[in-house]
Amino acid sequence: MTAPVLGRVVATERRPNTPHEFHFWTALDAPVGVGTIVRVESTRPVNGVLPSVYGVVTEGFGYTDLQTPLHDVLGADGEPGASATAPTERTEIRLYTAAVLRQVPEEPLQPVPMGTVHLATEVDVQAALRMDTYVQGSDARGIPVGAYRSGGTDAAVHLDADFLLGPEAAHLAISGVSGLATKTSAVQWLLASIFTHLPVRKGKVAAGCFTVKGPDLCFIDRPATRLDPADRALYDALGVPAAPFDRVRYFAPWHARGTHLATLRTHDALAESVTPLTWGLRETLQYAEVLLSREDIDAKADALIDFIKERVVDQRFEDKLLEGTHDVRSFADLERWFRELLQAMEAGNQEQWRTHHIATIRKVRNRLGNISTRCKGLVTDDGTVSDLPFGAFEDRAVYVVDVAQLEEDAQDLVFARIISQLREHLEKRALGVEQVVVFVDELNKYAPSDGADTYVRQMLLDIAERGRYLGLVLFGAQQFRSQVHRRVVGNSGTQLFGRMDADELATPGYQTLAPATKARLATLEKGQLMVRHPHFGQPIFVRFPRPAVLTGREGVEQFPPAEVPTLEMAVAKTLRRLDPSITVGQVQDVLALAGDDEEAILRARNVTLLKRPDNVLAFFSKQLRKRVAPEVVGGRGPAPLRTPATDDEYG
Amino acid sequence: MRAAIRALRAAGVGVGAAGAPLELRTTFDDTAPRVEPVTPLEGDRLVVRPVPGAPEPGVRAFLDGIQRSQVVAHVGAVPLVHGVVAAAVRVREARRMRTWGAARRREALVVPVAALDHALVATLGAAVPLVDTTAGEPAPPSGHPQDLAARALTAVQRMREAEELALVAAWVADGDGPLLVDGGISGSPEGARAESVIGVVKSHRTLYAAPSELPLVLALREGERTSAVALHSPRRNPVASWYLRLRDPGDRSPLFGLVRVEVAPTGDLTARADAVSRWVLAERAPVALPDPRWDVMVYGIRECEEYLTAILPR
Repeated sequence: MTAPVLGRVVATERRPNTPHEFHFWTALDAPVGVGTIVRVESTRPVNGVLPSVYGVVTEGFGYTDLQTPLHDVLGADGEPGASATAPTERTEIRLYTAAVLRQVPEEPLQPVPMGTVHLATEVDVQAALRMDTYVQGSDARGIPVGAYRSGGTDAAVHLDADFLLGPEAAHLAISGVSGLATKTSAVQWLLASIFTHLPVRKGKVAAGCFTVKGPDLCFIDRPATRLDPADRALYDALGVPAAPFDRVRYFAPWHARGTHLATLRTHDALAESVTPLTWGLRETLQYAEVLLSREDIDAKADALIDFIKERVVDQRFEDKLLEGTHDVRSFADLERWFRELLQAMEAGNQEQWRTHHIATIRKVRNRLGNISTRCKGLVTDDGTVSDLPFGAFEDRAVYVVDVAQLEEDAQDLVFARIISQLREHLEKRALGVEQVVVFVDELNKYAPSDGADTYVRQMLLDIAERGRYLGLVLFGAQQFRSQVHRRVVGNSGTQLFGRMDADELATPGYQTLAPATKARLATLEKGQLMVRHPHFGQPIFVRFPRPAVLTGREGVEQFPPAEVPTLEMAVAKTLRRLDPSITVGQVQDVLALAGDDEEAILRARNVTLLKRPDNVLAFFSKQLRKRVAPEVVGGRGPAPLRTPATDDEYG
Repeated sequence: MRAAIRALRAAGVGVGAAGAPLELRTTFDDTAPRVEPVTPLEGDRLVVRPVPGAPEPGVRAFLDGIQRSQVVAHVGAVPLVHGVVAAAVRVREARRMRTWGAARRREALVVPVAALDHALVATLGAAVPLVDTTAGEPAPPSGHPQDLAARALTAVQRMREAEELALVAAWVADGDGPLLVDGGISGSPEGARAESVIGVVKSHRTLYAAPSELPLVLALREGERTSAVALHSPRRNPVASWYLRLRDPGDRSPLFGLVRVEVAPTGDLTARADAVSRWVLAERAPVALPDPRWDVMVYGIRECEEYLTAILPR
């Protein structure tokens, strides 16, 4: 059935139609506005084919036959109310400008012809956004991003998985003001959509998310408290179950005191689901440059650190200057090594050791020794390692790393190491999944457009530019896109925009948007997004449902964080994860034998937690005061890198 | 216009660029201004009457016509004029206007047949409608090109009036509610008899009043009208008419804001003149600016004219 006529294309010499833009007028009450997708039907065939043109409204104009506002003032005798009582309303026009999304046939590319304008139907929306090439058929790979709604048309808008997760393009950047743009919600929704719709033949996919503020993402395994019928209808329409994520693993470093995890997910009912995130010397030293500023590390210091990494750590080290053999596996071991070395040099009045000056050695000792203090809770003196399950990532699982309570330095270390590990494992095809979406909030902080060139920024740039071939996909969120490095933004194949700040919209990155589109962006409701995607000729507005998970704020209300525990209580709580029958009294009895060495007690607890022995209490008791070697992650055989389709003649 | 130009070229007549519209080159109404005494219908002499009550909308529809004439070729000194006219009734519904039925439109090549070669007239007549400017005229054309052009303009004017009159007749037969016509209605037998038709005359080359009563007409204040008078003419239908001041002239011309209303001379004329005056006064808003005749033009007529301008090809 032919859709009713919405408007007519018009063109004048002063405002002509072009192949990429056209104008049309409508009745005053036509259900059309900025963002509405329309179809132009021409009656004049080109090469024997009647052309169809799809466009999206980018600007609207309304005016009357008045030549100057003064005429209306005169006509109303200066009484604003008088105009309303006039027997006739002035002739008024609604004139819209639309940007061309697609012309069918694509060649010859001509100015948009005169013709009738119709509201796009669901089928039209698919054609207009070129979704017909990837939503249906044997190679279907559409990922619903939201619903396009206008003038009574409801149509699912899909992203192309090959352009969202790679290998054709990849990455996603979402921008918008805090609190109103629903950036985190949008990412949660999109992850749910990816997990539901990514075809199995595209491989396994997981997500790694960093919680950098408050309780964000801390309860995404719990169902939402309120999900209204409109949201449920959207879930149904977009074919995504309105359910929380069923495979979520939480990681958080210990609090600096070591008794409890530094996360807001410490409620008794949930605490067991959080795995401690702790690294030792080897894990940390690999990324020492993240924590050491350029002022700290000159060429000499750098050479010494390299020497330590290559010749000292994780091996037996002997030197004629040192009395015995050193087996440096923890910060504590390293400190002992430094202490003995410096004492020996001072005793021998020696200024150089293996080309390293004593001042350099003192400086490096100081800086490296500082790391375990600055990153206390994350970096352990004793070398205990509790890490993400690199190599055993599960399909459709979310790995949430809560770094909200860490210092900035430590946060950087977490990003650098986890992302580097993901990359290394993906390169070797040994992660357990073929694709990982890494969600980084506040991307403008980690990959700023200006400022110092940090390790983290370099790493994010590298992912942005090369990650798509590996399956390492960056989903970055930021308030101000203009403040994120342009190479990160520029490499994001898909861009989402929530409610935007007017000042941000005035920056050069938004010059291609029409004023009306900008105005709409500045007033977007929660749950609405503007989407840019390689297949879409123009930005499209969509609505997405509220995530079916508990929000951070609601989660904290429903599962308030546990009070800071005593040492005994903290140990008992942790050990109960392995053996629920353990009582605080039993732990107190064991601790009584250990004396006041709190660090030793926590070390023993950590080792017990890692080893998961059958007799938990006995093992814990035995571990007290015992030295622990770090765990080593096993590797897998490499698999081939992902490459674009071989039949792509433009690949 | 294209058809006319094709016909002229086919007939071997050289066609140059069309000139400016004759309406701009010639005085539209070149009769001398005059004063004409009339017969009072309300009382025994012309008096000033304030229109009682507040202005109130009562008009349902508006009728106007437009014309365009251009010299498209010359045969010797004889100008060949292309004339196109259109007329429409615009009905008001919920304060918005739409066209009643369809607009009427006519175009023709307007020529003095007697001054042209018969073969040429036959060729042209076979291709496009012809209107003879000499038909029915008491005196033959002088041969002066400007005289010929003026006759052509008059012929086009008649074409327009004919279309307008046809629409008035159609409205009287099928229309619903009062129709406000731009200009007089005495030319229409149906309009001059129908209570549903109101004529509003904006130009005043003839002032209908005795010389002694003229100051009274020209001194009308905003919202005042004269008493109704009867207008008779041998070639026209009798109508009742009165002057109505739409806007305060202030220090401007005494004709500023002055219109003359025509209605069928039937029924209680005082009550009808008051009611119609209230209707016309209500049509002052929205103001018809930027039309230069905005002081006397109601917005419905301007809107109708804009509509016709939009549909008439240039």
